[in-house]
Amino acid sequence: MTQLSVAAPVRLSIRGNVVRAVYPAVLVGAVILIAWELAVHLFNIQPYLLPAPSAIVAEFGKSFSTIASAAQITTIAVIGGALLGAATGVIAAFIVALFEKFANTVLVLVAILSCAPVVALAPIFNAWFGATSLMSKIAVAAIMVFFPVMVATTKGLLSVHPLHRELMESLSASRFQLMVWVRIPGAVPSLFDGMRVGATLSVIGIIVAEYFGGTANALGVLIANSAALSQFPLTWAAVAAASLLGLVVYGAVMLIERLVAPWRFTPASR
Amino acid sequence: MTINTPVTDARPAISLRNVTKTFDAGGGLVHALDDIDLDIAPGAFVSLLGPSGCGKSTLLRVIGDLVKPTEGVVEVNGRSAEAARKAREYGMAFQAPGLMDWRTIRRNIELPLQVQGVPRNERRARAEEMLELVRLTGFENHRPRQLSGGMQQRVAIARALAFQPKLLLMDEPLGALDEMNREYLQRELLRIWRSTGTTIVFVTHSVSEAVFLSTEVVVMSPRPGRIADRIPIDLPYPRTDETRMTEEFYHAESRVRTALHSVLEPVQVG
Ligand SMILES: Nc1ncnc2c1ncn2[C@@H]1O[C@H](COP(=O)(O)OP(=O)(O)OP(=O)(O)O)[C@@H](O)[C@H]1O
Ligand SMILES: [Mg+2]
Repeated sequence: MTQLSVAAPVRLSIRGNVVRAVYPAVLVGAVILIAWELAVHLFNIQPYLLPAPSAIVAEFGKSFSTIASAAQITTIAVIGGALLGAATGVIAAFIVALFEKFANTVLVLVAILSCAPVVALAPIFNAWFGATSLMSKIAVAAIMVFFPVMVATTKGLLSVHPLHRELMESLSASRFQLMVWVRIPGAVPSLFDGMRVGATLSVIGIIVAEYFGGTANALGVLIANSAALSQFPLTWAAVAAASLLGLVVYGAVMLIERLVAPWRFTPASR
Repeated sequence: MTINTPVTDARPAISLRNVTKTFDAGGGLVHALDDIDLDIAPGAFVSLLGPSGCGKSTLLRVIGDLVKPTEGVVEVNGRSAEAARKAREYGMAFQAPGLMDWRTIRRNIELPLQVQGVPRNERRARAEEMLELVRLTGFENHRPRQLSGGMQQRVAIARALAFQPKLLLMDEPLGALDEMNREYLQRELLRIWRSTGTTIVFVTHSVSEAVFLSTEVVVMSPRPGRIADRIPIDLPYPRTDETRMTEEFYHAESRVRTALHSVLEPVQVG
């Protein structure tokens, strides 16, 4: 009874927080779109330079089936890349966290490695896996996602609150118990910080990898081809679809975080 | 039944010999503890009192084997402090609650039992019991962040008492509480101590709290941390709220206060 009556207002206030967080962003977005639309008409900007948002939306409606079918394979690749990158990143983080002494060295190496422009590997992966293979795209995105997830998760696993460490030590808890009850739950928020960065990177990775050729029916290919044929409204509509995909993946990560780590979203009492 | 005054011929529950602890705090050595000799009888309730920074928390951590002394020996029931910790003889409550955000209140209290592999049903029953003891029934499914500082402190006490440790080490556990709850928990602590025969080492800043609870008050002096005075409190148990108003209580308080003041007032300048 008590539980129910207390839980309800908490739920509500979380929903209120989401609205409050999203509302300003939506407002700013709307203002920018209106300014864009007005600017195109006022300054008579040619569509091949910059089409008006209304023209992009119209094109989106007209070519919806083309864009939607191109987005299908891209979406699968994005999800595949994000999952593969996140999974390998988390596994690598666990391995590094087990060897605490070497962790910092490894993190520095990883930081240096992550400076490399991974998308530049796309043509190489095309040669390895075949240009039309989904794997050649997924590999690029997975590597891009791997780095932020691995670094954030490792740091999360290694940073234990001193009091939690002392408490577990005073109870003579095993290393395994410390891992399962303190390190892992403590690292969940860091993991999702990495995943949110990774979500954006996975879309970039897939789209750019698709520029380098592959199945004809993909968003990246559609963007590259339509631009080559000067079908700029279609290019823009496809870019908008890719942005939408990025937003959806980002939103999905946030949603999963709320389910996996609800404690992060309970409002503090003070 | 209860040992009110230390029995000198029995083997001490806790024995410190020439315990010194220096911290190398970047830029100079801090002598947190200097040549501490202390015997604590089984079943004693000893309070540590002294100005901020005199080493009370450090002494508690040394006894609990969370900090290794620079010099000297700590024995617990005739064994090393480490052996006692490994045998899970300690229950600890730290100066800050140190609850785990990812656990509900109930699961925070269950943690020590979980570490010891107590079956789920038993754990639950015990947690309910402890919640009732600290008057937080109804909050079992809340998250730590939803509780006030004083409430969190009470959860930390419940967690320390959840399993029946042979030794209870408590660092200002009632510091953040309101007067009513503090006096209530003082009485409860005495009740638990008398019914279980646990040895308690208790850090506090309150003279009247130390006198009300303890069989002995140990007054410490700062820089370097030393034992300045040991004052046995001969007030009979059970101690009740009436005890606080007796002349004997007032006398005991005065003695402790005098000892504390001689530590606080800079007798010689230099
Ligand atoms: N881990 C540490 N590293 C360096 N110095 C420390 C450490 N822990 C304690 N000290 C120092 O040791 C001294 C004693 O600290 P301690 O926390 O034991 O004091 P205390 O008596 O508990 O004080 P308070 O009443 O404020 O809690 C202080 O000067 C403190 O700065
Ligand atoms: Mg302290």
